[in-house]
Amino acid sequence: MEKHMAVCPYCGAGCKLDLLVENGQVVGAEGLDGITNQGELCLKGLHGYDFINDTKILTPRIYHPMIRREKGAPLERVTWDEALDFTAQKLMDIKAKYGPDAIMLTGSSRGPGNEANYVMQKFTRACIGTNNIDNCART
Amino acid sequence: MSVSIPSLEDAKCIFLFGYNPSASHPIVSRRIVRAKEKGAKIIVADPRVIETARIADIYMQINNGCNIAFLNAFANAIVTENLHDKEFIAEHTNGFDEWWETIKDYTPESVQHITGIDPETMREAARMYATAESAVLGWGMGVAQQKQNVLTVHTLAAIACITHQIGKPNAGLAPVRGQNNVQGSCDMGMLPNFFPGYQKVTDPAMREKFAKAWGVPVEKLSDHEGYKLTDVGHNAEEGKVHAFYNFGEDPLQTEPDAQDLKRQLQGLDLLICQDIFMTQTCMIADVIFPGTSWGEHDGVFSASDRTFQRFTAAVPPKGECKHDWQIFSELSTRMGYPMHYEDTQEIWDEMRSLCPTFYGATYEKMAGVGHAQWPIPTIEHPGTPIMYLGGKFTTPDNRANLMAHDWEPPTELPDEEYPLILCTVREVGHYSCRSMTGNCRALSLLAEEPGEIHIHPDDAKARGIYDGELVRAFSRRGEAMSRAVVDERINKGTVYMTYQWWIGKCNNLTLHAVDPRSHTPEDKFSACQVEAIEDQVWAEQHMQELYTQLKNDLADLASAQDVEPTSQRQPQETRESVIV
Repeated sequence: MEKHMAVCPYCGAGCKLDLLVENGQVVGAEGLDGITNQGELCLKGLHGYDFINDTKILTPRIYHPMIRREKGAPLERVTWDEALDFTAQKLMDIKAKYGPDAIMLTGSSRGPGNEANYVMQKFTRACIGTNNIDNCART
Repeated sequence: MSVSIPSLEDAKCIFLFGYNPSASHPIVSRRIVRAKEKGAKIIVADPRVIETARIADIYMQINNGCNIAFLNAFANAIVTENLHDKEFIAEHTNGFDEWWETIKDYTPESVQHITGIDPETMREAARMYATAESAVLGWGMGVAQQKQNVLTVHTLAAIACITHQIGKPNAGLAPVRGQNNVQGSCDMGMLPNFFPGYQKVTDPAMREKFAKAWGVPVEKLSDHEGYKLTDVGHNAEEGKVHAFYNFGEDPLQTEPDAQDLKRQLQGLDLLICQDIFMTQTCMIADVIFPGTSWGEHDGVFSASDRTFQRFTAAVPPKGECKHDWQIFSELSTRMGYPMHYEDTQEIWDEMRSLCPTFYGATYEKMAGVGHAQWPIPTIEHPGTPIMYLGGKFTTPDNRANLMAHDWEPPTELPDEEYPLILCTVREVGHYSCRSMTGNCRALSLLAEEPGEIHIHPDDAKARGIYDGELVRAFSRRGEAMSRAVVDERINKGTVYMTYQWWIGKCNNLTLHAVDPRSHTPEDKFSACQVEAIEDQVWAEQHMQELYTQLKNDLADLASAQDVEPTSQRQPQETRESVIV
């Protein structure tokens, strides 16, 4: 059994925990002695880990990039290269036609973490050239 | 939060206003229970008899939508009884006399018809808070998701300032964050008015600094504030926004008036969703990027009390999932602004170097169960559990500006057709749009579709509704099927729904009315009606059919990923070389 240190991805308390891994599957969570939780976890912290394993209880994980080539066309799995090229071209076309402020982005205040959000706002500001970036703090 | 979560247990008084910690933050709640055990006085003002109300020394069952009227009267009671700290006010605040001009008219008696609170009880609570050796004032969405939310926060802060319940140990303000990293998103500049570290985008010196660090001409960085998230729907409709890049959120589940938002988002030229699950919003996306999940990547989260902590990957990425920061970097590179990072530490160190408030929060300091609490300006700095010690505020003159406002009624008041108030609340076992918790075995057993609608026994009786039955809830915007819980712990005239449910989607009913300053929607107050469904057998069956249908639709759409790409294009050499 492996143990990997993490912080709970649910509420804003910031509880430290170990994820327990067996045969590549996350099989449990144990409280660590973090500044806030002092070894304890709540219901979500203790039992909120197995979505990672793609249980498909509610909705499946996404493993591959997909696009719709036209509005209303069916979703289609494509390679990363094609997905990124397609999206980059669309964004550049929209920017050229309507200006950078015609593009809006929202960050994720959930599992991704601060570094992913930092890079997204840098992309928004330095690459697209707009301050149209926000997060769910308002809602 | 101006205080830290651990410091709550050493406060001598805790006043919770519109905050239900046992459902939304059980581990914070535990500190409040400990404070009580150590002798602290607990005050709760909430329309529901929440768990903390049961251990409260004073519980006030306030009317929905009364916040500023209540707080003004609370402040009035403090000053009228001469319990304010004149020395602290004189030395550390501005504008007391002007503030009092508004507050003086709000006696507890004069607003009793709005607050529903007996004046003597309110005075007793005001005495308890103002005279405590140290007091923490905590609030949650009961303040934030209301029409006058920013103004209410001004009022709460002023109450802490005039009583000197801020600027000393174990005292201050505790507005908690709902999601694990809302504080982090704000810290990282996922805001239309701030670069990372709360540095203004409208400040030329800041643009100069970031432009230099990011290697772009300063003219490239926009000099005006951007749009707010709650504006995306109508901006799309008005043709101002043509592309929306939605990262790890499911707005069609979590935003108000979801049906209208869906129509607006469908009109976009380009909707990009970067997620780990097929969500309702992903269903209408033009591009879906698979990111790695929590548990599959490293990083830092910011807790509600400004505490940075590291988390690490437990298992490798699945399928073709990429780390989110890699996806942004590769897209940016293709759009002519090359970005490349080796790992999250490289990103973090770049961020720290640009944010003086966070500079001392190194990965080394946060190793293992370590943490770093900002402001933490230097490597040697111990971090800041309690802000504004000694009454030194972060304003140009280091003094707090007292602000008072008149109460206004909520936007959509109940009437004959929609006589009930709908208030959306949190669920202990589920979280946000439920894509994560709904896929956890144990948690999915705790609560299921269509969720619950809590209704007072008198309101249930008047409608012929029995506990456990499926009911129809509807408003001017839309409707949802939910399961009635007849609940004597809530106030008459208001129903409460949690926002996790697809069939019982409260956001089909909620009103898209936002505070003009924060653009936060008024999720805590809209008008609705609830009616019994006579044929319960049909209702149960219909609910299951709708639920199964939606689950199947999501799975069907996701199954597009099981088909290998047809047009395998060769990666272009030049592009690869740019990325490397």
